[in-house]
Amino acid sequence: MGLLNTTLKSTSRSLLMASAFIGTLLLTGCAQHHQHATLYERIGGQPTIEAVVENLLYRIADDEEIVSYFANSNIDLLAASLASQLCDVSDGPCQYEGPPMDRAHQTMGITDAHFNRVVEYLDAAMVEEGVPLAARNDMLGRLAPMYKDVMRLQ
Amino acid sequence: MRKNGSSKQRTIVAAAALSALLAATPSVAGSRILGTGAVSAIEGAAGGGLSPWAVLSSTASDDEIGVTAAATRAWVDDYQLTVTGASVNLHDRMEFSIARQTFELSTLGGELEQDIYGAKVRLFGDVLYHPLVVWSAGVMHQRLVDGTVPTALGADDVNGTDAYLSASKLLFNAFLGRNVLLNATLRNTSANQGGLLGFGGDQGGHAWMAEGSVGVFVTPNWVVGTEYRQKPDNLSAADEEDWQSVYSAYFFNKHVSLTGAWLDFGDIAGLPPQRGGYLSLQAAF
Repeated sequence: MGLLNTTLKSTSRSLLMASAFIGTLLLTGCAQHHQHATLYERIGGQPTIEAVVENLLYRIADDEEIVSYFANSNIDLLAASLASQLCDVSDGPCQYEGPPMDRAHQTMGITDAHFNRVVEYLDAAMVEEGVPLAARNDMLGRLAPMYKDVMRLQ
Repeated sequence: MRKNGSSKQRTIVAAAALSALLAATPSVAGSRILGTGAVSAIEGAAGGGLSPWAVLSSTASDDEIGVTAAATRAWVDDYQLTVTGASVNLHDRMEFSIARQTFELSTLGGELEQDIYGAKVRLFGDVLYHPLVVWSAGVMHQRLVDGTVPTALGADDVNGTDAYLSASKLLFNAFLGRNVLLNATLRNTSANQGGLLGFGGDQGGHAWMAEGSVGVFVTPNWVVGTEYRQKPDNLSAADEEDWQSVYSAYFFNKHVSLTGAWLDFGDIAGLPPQRGGYLSLQAAF
């Protein structure tokens, strides 16, 4: 009986903690999370995507090691290509028509360290352009599988 | 007097070092994403506190080296555990760790000490990018400093070696827009109470145990979760139960993290359910 009581007490305490925690997340999550809206809409549509791409490119430009990979790139084309890809993966009204990710990055000598740095720049750009946390996580989650393609032909 | 002066000096040096780390720019840290080095488990390896995870310590990536140090204390009803440990991560492929555990028997009197030498290899995958998650295998060799008490309780050995296989995965946007970290570990062990009560006994020896955890990144810096560690029960003289925790870890930046937890260690050495708190400070370079 005593054991049962203790077990019940500890279970109800765990439940209480868990529900308090979930409640907090629900309160903060609901403000940002709209199931019916596309990620494209939750990010803030084309204006935000273009601002994020510009912000990202400035961060890359400040990183001597990363920017050297784009020495022969047409920056306007790159910006348009990045924007159409972010629009496409976030279910916006765009169709990415650039080169596939493995071909676009082949034999560039990209390391995990480079890849991680660009991920951090993208996330920081989204933060600065006011993209909510849930939308940032969603976007990063959709881009993460591209790692395999980007690294395939290194 | 002199002792006071030197301990004050040490405190000042430690505080200065800590504030330098807190202010340090991320450019001197490893390049892996914040939090992917986890925290230091009580046996020294990167993990969740009770269990080693498949990620390697610090944020060192494929062409980098990382060094991590951690100090941990756990207070439960009749015991106090202190752990100091360090680990090195070579190119996000190998992790070597060392830890010294001091287990104070507050009620029974005396203390038990052991050293733990660990090695972990990342087999393949990545916690963020790989669809088949990240897989690592590791070993931990444990040596009790003084095996008198464990031997008296019926332990077969005063040294032991655990081997484990671990998988970890971050699920993006998985729970209310937050990222969720999952970990599962299978450990082959003969350790009684993590080795503090020796290895093996009249009721068994090496066996496979399951460990797991789930955590939610409330923000990119802050993860809250729970961890479970199945335990053997080798000593008829000292019932042993599974361990569990509810934890909260805050990553100030890639260098400094602070973990707090609520622990339930169950019965230890004949004393009733041991519950209490846990604090761990980690610094990584």
